[in-house]
Amino acid sequence: MEAFYFGPSEHYLFGVFHPRQGPSRNEAVVLCHPFGQEYMRAHKSVRRLAINLAALGYPVLRFDYRGTGDSAGDLTGVTAEDWIEDIGFAVQEVMDMAAVSKVALVGLRLGGLIAARAAAKHDCVSRLVLWDPITDGASYVNDIRAAITEAQTEGSRSRLITQDGTMHFNGFCMPRAFQDSLSTLNLTDLAPSLHVPVAQIVSHEADEFSAVRDQFADRAAFHSELAPAPHNWNYVDHVGGILWPKPVIDAIEQYFGQARA
Amino acid sequence: MREQVVMVGSELPLVGVLCEPENNPAPNVAVILLNSGVIHRVGSCRLSVTLARNLCEKAGLATFRFDFSGIGDSEARRGTLTAAQAAVDEVQEVMDYLSQWKQFDRFILYGLCSGAFASYRTALSDTRVMATVQLDGYCYMTWKSHLLRYAPKLLSLTRWSQFILRKLGLRKTRKGAEVSGIEERYFEVPGFAGYPPKEEVTEGLRVLNDRKLQMLYVFFGHEYYVYQDQFQDCFRPVVFGDNLTVIHRPHATHILSEPEDRASVVDAITQWAAQLVHQPQP
Repeated sequence: MEAFYFGPSEHYLFGVFHPRQGPSRNEAVVLCHPFGQEYMRAHKSVRRLAINLAALGYPVLRFDYRGTGDSAGDLTGVTAEDWIEDIGFAVQEVMDMAAVSKVALVGLRLGGLIAARAAAKHDCVSRLVLWDPITDGASYVNDIRAAITEAQTEGSRSRLITQDGTMHFNGFCMPRAFQDSLSTLNLTDLAPSLHVPVAQIVSHEADEFSAVRDQFADRAAFHSELAPAPHNWNYVDHVGGILWPKPVIDAIEQYFGQARA
Repeated sequence: MREQVVMVGSELPLVGVLCEPENNPAPNVAVILLNSGVIHRVGSCRLSVTLARNLCEKAGLATFRFDFSGIGDSEARRGTLTAAQAAVDEVQEVMDYLSQWKQFDRFILYGLCSGAFASYRTALSDTRVMATVQLDGYCYMTWKSHLLRYAPKLLSLTRWSQFILRKLGLRKTRKGAEVSGIEERYFEVPGFAGYPPKEEVTEGLRVLNDRKLQMLYVFFGHEYYVYQDQFQDCFRPVVFGDNLTVIHRPHATHILSEPEDRASVVDAITQWAAQLVHQPQP
C-alpha cells in the first residue's frame, strides 16, 4: 500500500494505491467515495474492498475528491464537474502506476452517480460498478434539503441552510454551486452514453434501484445483485460509529473475481 | 502551507499527513493530532484537517495528523500491548520520527475523546510533550454537577413518570442496535476502556501541572460536564496556574457536527496555540 498526493498542485488529491497481489490483470480499479458523513462511515469498507480487490490481482486506487478528506481545500467553489474531473485524474494516475490500459470504476452512493458520468467521459473506463447508487442528483439534493427542513422544526444546529444557500448536513456542507451542478446529473440521462458493462450491487430494494435494473435489463453486460446489508449511511451516533456492510463488499469482490485474469 | 503524506515506520507504517507553514516561526514545535475512536485521521466532521490547516496557516505551526495502527489507513500491528498502551508507544514513535527528520523537539498533542485520553497518557510518559489540547478529556462528576444535572429531573413530572414506568418494566431503555437500527456485527463503534479511577487522574494531573505542562481542555454539552469550572472543582487538590485553560461549549455535541461550534473551537485552539508558542520564553 502506498499513500501519496497526486493531481494538479492547486487542488492536490490524497490517494492510496494498493498494488496487485494475485494474478496480473490488465485492469485497475478506482474506488469513488460518497459525500459527507457517508464518506466518514464508508472509509473502512472502501479500504477493505480495495485490499480484497488487490488480492484478486487488480491494482486499486482509492482517493479523496478535492475539498474532502485529506485532499486540498474545502468545497467552496467546487462543483460536481470538478469531482468528475478528479476521477479522471485518479484514472490516469492508476494507469500510470500499474501500467494498465483499462480501469473499472466502483462508486458508492453519490460516488456511483459521479463515476457514471466519468465512465461516459473516459474511453479507458472498462466497466462501472454502482454500489447503492444515487441515481438522481436533484432528488438527492432535495432529500437532504427536506431532512434539514424537518430538523429545523426541532431547532437542529447541525442541519441547517445558511443565507448563501449552503446546506449543512451532519457536519458537512454542500455549497450552492455544488448542489446546482449535481442536480443536473441523473443515471437515466447518462445511460445511453454508457457503453461499458455495468453492475448494480445493492444492499436493499428501492424504487430507484429497480428503475436502473429496468433501464439496463436489455443489455447483455448488465449484472444486478442484491446483497442484504445495513445501508443507513447517514445514521450519526455520538461516537462516530462506522458502517460495515460486509455482504455487499463480498458481492463486489465476487463480481470482480469472476472475470478472467 | 505545504502538505505531504508520510508513512512512519518501514513495516506496517503509520499513515499521516505533515502540514508545514511557508515560514515557520516556531521551527522546533509540532502539533500532533490523534484519532478519536475509530474515525480515521481526517477527524469527526473533518475537524482534524480543518484544525491542522488552520494551526499551520494562522498560528504558523507544523502539524502532523496520523492514524494509529488498525485505524484508518494504518495496518493493524499485532502485539502484547493494550490499545491504550500501544497508542502511547505510537505517538512516541511519531515524535521520534519527526524529531529525527525535521528536528522538532517539543510537541503539542491534540485529541478528542479517546484521542484526548491518549494525549494525556503520552504527556505523562514523555517530557517532550509541552502541551495538550483535550476535547472532552478525562473529567468526573462533582457534587455541583450532580446537583445541576439531577435537580431539574427531580422536579420534572415527566421524568418521574418515565422512571416509574421503567421500574415497572412498562418502558424499556433502548440500547445499541435498538437505537441505531443496525445490527452490531455491521456497525463498528470504539471499544472504550473504562475511565481510570479519579485519584489516578488527579495524581497524573498533579505531575503534569508541576511540570508546567500547558493544558487546554474543551468540554462539550454532554450531560457529564455541566458547568464551566467543573474541571477545576473535580481535581481540586491540584492547584492549576495560568497553564490551564478550560472552555465549555454547552450547546455543542461530542462529534462537533454544528458548523458554528466547530468554527469557534478551531479558532479558540488556534489562538491558544499561537499565544503559547509565540510568547517570550521565561
